[in-house]
Amino acid sequence: METTPQILEVKEVTMRFGGIVALDGLNLSLRAGELRCILGPNGCGKTTLFNVLTGALRPTSGTVSFQGAMISGKSPAAIARLGISRKFQVPGIYPELSVIENIALPLAAANRHPGVWSLLRQRPDRARIAELMGFAGLSQKGHVTAAELSHGEKQKLEVMMLLATDADLLLLDEPTAGMSKGETSAIAALIRKLTSELGKTVLVIEHDMNFVRELDCPVTVMARGTVIADGSYDEVRHDPRVIECYLGRAA
Amino acid sequence: MELVLTIGLDALSFVLTLLLVTLGLVIVYGMMNVINMAHGELFLLGAYTLVAAQSAGLPFWAGVLLAMLVVGLAGLLIEELVIRHVYGRPIDTILATWGLSIAIKQLIIIVFGPAAISLTNPLPGSVSVLGIDYPAYRLVIMAVSAFLAATVYLVLFRTSIGLQIRSVIANRGMAGSLGVNTRLMDRGTFAVGAALAGIAGAVMAPIMSVDPQMGVGFLIPAFLAVLVGGLNSLLGAVIGAGIIGGASTTLSSGMAQATAQICVFVIAIVVIRLFPNGLSKGFR
Repeated sequence: METTPQILEVKEVTMRFGGIVALDGLNLSLRAGELRCILGPNGCGKTTLFNVLTGALRPTSGTVSFQGAMISGKSPAAIARLGISRKFQVPGIYPELSVIENIALPLAAANRHPGVWSLLRQRPDRARIAELMGFAGLSQKGHVTAAELSHGEKQKLEVMMLLATDADLLLLDEPTAGMSKGETSAIAALIRKLTSELGKTVLVIEHDMNFVRELDCPVTVMARGTVIADGSYDEVRHDPRVIECYLGRAA
Repeated sequence: MELVLTIGLDALSFVLTLLLVTLGLVIVYGMMNVINMAHGELFLLGAYTLVAAQSAGLPFWAGVLLAMLVVGLAGLLIEELVIRHVYGRPIDTILATWGLSIAIKQLIIIVFGPAAISLTNPLPGSVSVLGIDYPAYRLVIMAVSAFLAATVYLVLFRTSIGLQIRSVIANRGMAGSLGVNTRLMDRGTFAVGAALAGIAGAVMAPIMSVDPQMGVGFLIPAFLAVLVGGLNSLLGAVIGAGIIGGASTTLSSGMAQATAQICVFVIAIVVIRLFPNGLSKGFR
């Protein structure tokens, strides 16, 4: 039987901040085209994990490899150019720029071997921008400044900016933070489309259990900087270690 | 009427040159949060590069271009050897660039001596402007400064690299995660900021006394212009250079130099008191 190749492998990663151990020998692997959710209580190390994966933090020990190449210690820009893109908890869009300019930025940065002339011109790939805006349902908002978008539209725009980098692995940190129920369902549908239609690998950090159920994907639960459970939404929901981690042990 | 026009043109000439120095400060601060105390010495380095080029027999305009290149490269070196090691530490940055300014000034004294040097005006004639004879070289300074300021604006707002530079200024973390090479942008921006100061120093050299203190004469008004116009804003640089440069030239024509400078400081203090974030950011 043919198996999907592994795209990300995190091996025994530890991240210490003085006496605080944010990640404690964490292991995690993702297959290409997989959608996975990471759950865990506040302070369990989810965002630290994203910081390590994107090069914002250099792990104290352990290794991270992406598409077979070691990426631990590389700069965030170098890792982004290798194909890992990250969405921050607070939308990382540029409010003063239009929707088109926001998407044009990663397209410009993705130009690996720019000549002087291409750096001095501003000729965004209009077809690609239109395609991305259409994918997110923002076709009518191209010339609107990002500040004028609704919260849900801002989140969608940021996901489109990640897609414009041509990244293979998208890391989404709480993509539904501050959203209404309707907006949350729309984002869930968009994220499912990222894997089903575009073949992207997506790792999502999330707190909203209803959203996790809507995503209908494998779930990894973290606590105290390490993985304590893996499985479907229903499996982890009934796992005693997960229940203990969220609700505590009976006295 | 002739006097008013002459003062107006003198003010415009000073404002445009001051704008080049201010733009360098603003884009470096915007990009890296670095308050570059050595910016005046980069202006100085530009003037002395022109002195060296002229001594070596190079034509004037070749010397000006050389000054831009040499000071741009010096900026690249300073960013690589000093600035990048103190990123995110504002006090250390101020101390490091202050130390650097002293080192550059002393190096110039060792090489060229402490005495003032005069350069020959490359365009000694005058041109009739609206009925008055005005020095041709001052008009050239205005044209060069306006051209460079417009080029900086066009590069930042109408090109692909400008979009990337603005993205780093607005949100460094996000820009990095979108694949923008923030390190390259830092280096490039610092070098361009330095080159602007260098070319300003070179074009001003023939009408100023070139001496090791000349950088301070531009650094202080440039800092005042940044504070009055607003940090992190190109429009602010234009407004600030306009107010400080305009007031300085106009007042100097009607009163003693020292009194004029006191008045300029008073204007700056009043503006900063009423608009703490600078005129481009609005009333707070």
